[in-house]
Amino acid sequence: MSPELEKCSRSLLVCEKSNFTKEKSRYDIHVSKHYFNYKVSIVIPECASLPASIAGVINSFNSYYRVRDLPIYKLLEEEFLEKVVKKGQFYALSYNTRIDEDNTIAFLPSGQLILSVDKDTYEQLGLEGKPSQYKHRKVLRYVVTIDLTDKLMSPGAKRYQRLITSLKEWVPIKCDLMISSKMTAAEEDGGVLQNLLSQYSFEEHRPTLHTHTLKEMPCPSLHSTDRHGDEKSCDPHHFLEWLGAVSMDISSDNEASSFLSTYVCPDPQSLMSHGLLCTVTGFLIPEDIYSLLLELRRYFDEPKFTSWLSMTVHGFVDSPVSWGTTEHGFLKSGENFYNFVCFRNQDYWLHMATGSHDGCPP
Amino acid sequence: MEEPAAFERLVYKNASNFHYMKICLVLENGSRNIEAAQFKQLIVSGLRQLYGEVGAAFPFDLLKFDPGTLTGILRVYNSGLVKLWSALTLIGSYQNELCAVRVTQVSPFLLALSGNSRELELDQASPTGEKLLLT
Repeated sequence: MSPELEKCSRSLLVCEKSNFTKEKSRYDIHVSKHYFNYKVSIVIPECASLPASIAGVINSFNSYYRVRDLPIYKLLEEEFLEKVVKKGQFYALSYNTRIDEDNTIAFLPSGQLILSVDKDTYEQLGLEGKPSQYKHRKVLRYVVTIDLTDKLMSPGAKRYQRLITSLKEWVPIKCDLMISSKMTAAEEDGGVLQNLLSQYSFEEHRPTLHTHTLKEMPCPSLHSTDRHGDEKSCDPHHFLEWLGAVSMDISSDNEASSFLSTYVCPDPQSLMSHGLLCTVTGFLIPEDIYSLLLELRRYFDEPKFTSWLSMTVHGFVDSPVSWGTTEHGFLKSGENFYNFVCFRNQDYWLHMATGSHDGCPP
Repeated sequence: MEEPAAFERLVYKNASNFHYMKICLVLENGSRNIEAAQFKQLIVSGLRQLYGEVGAAFPFDLLKFDPGTLTGILRVYNSGLVKLWSALTLIGSYQNELCAVRVTQVSPFLLALSGNSRELELDQASPTGEKLLLT
């Protein structure tokens, strides 16, 4: 077989080590710039049930809406634009659209609209965009990024009119959207979003919480100063693999001679008598994830048996962006996730991973 | 109390040794009882058919197998990914019954397989039950 075939497409893993109390640490920016989050999973060793304070934070996560067949230009009409989109903290992502096949639409909380569309749609739209970075010989996908907070895009301006005409008349794009807005939760938008939703078929969804207790299983020992896995800890890839195994209930007590699997928990390890695995799924906004992270940091305020806990956040694989406005594609699986390991002394490790069709995490 | 850690940032490129695959076996006459060992044997024989005794001699792991849905998670060294994937694609029968292997997800991170947003199903919770009406 050709040696070329033994190579794999590129993947990136960025590892950071710092302390939450340091002013210069940028962990909060990494959380807030990862806009579209699908799942959060928490692993706490030596913990039998979900602490009430953490459960409280999860219960206060924002609800999100799923609205069907919504014409996109409706979200760009003057009242909605001024009272909701431009006010910030408005998140919307098309549901059930695949970034490698379909037209995908996203509204970022920074007031940007991103249309990731195929070549035909792009040519009919007549809006200015760029060819997707992840093209293969021929360009088949284009990305249109529109800054709705720009003065030239204010209602009445020429470019605004053109945008409305193209999305209303030339290519009336309709899709199912997932929408979350902090303004609506606080009722600061004067009911504009509710008004719009009521004209279409929509449902309100709550993030789904699952907890699972892990029993009698090996668990890697981690030491905050040794992130490379030289002596006291295991290396980041092995640790993330172990987290994956725990999340999917994969057994790690195999023997080297086993026919099925030779996967074992990485060294150095210790036996965990019990542990907690808790997952939340839905259309989760970064603000909620940040408040969860703050609560997890407080977990060590009282003495605990464990010296670390972990929180993993998975992004939507079909989102047109991963962090900030960095273009995101799918290729083999479109992974974009990050993981915090929080230590007792407020040190943290942050792992950020992306696949082949993605920029380097920030 | 220990000293707070100093800031450090490292970027690993293609540093994972393995790739992980989530696959599903689809049988012509619906599902039946298959054990994990039989499933792995099916894949091994598929590899042997395509690449011969020597070409197929590379290790891979069946990390998990769910007999209910016939879904499994494989772990393979990067160098064996293309061979394994091609052999899976060409598996066409199991005990004289037509079958196919669907590859749902492939990633260099096992953790990524636990958070696939394409599995987000909002229709089940739908109070209107429109999906049911459509089917």
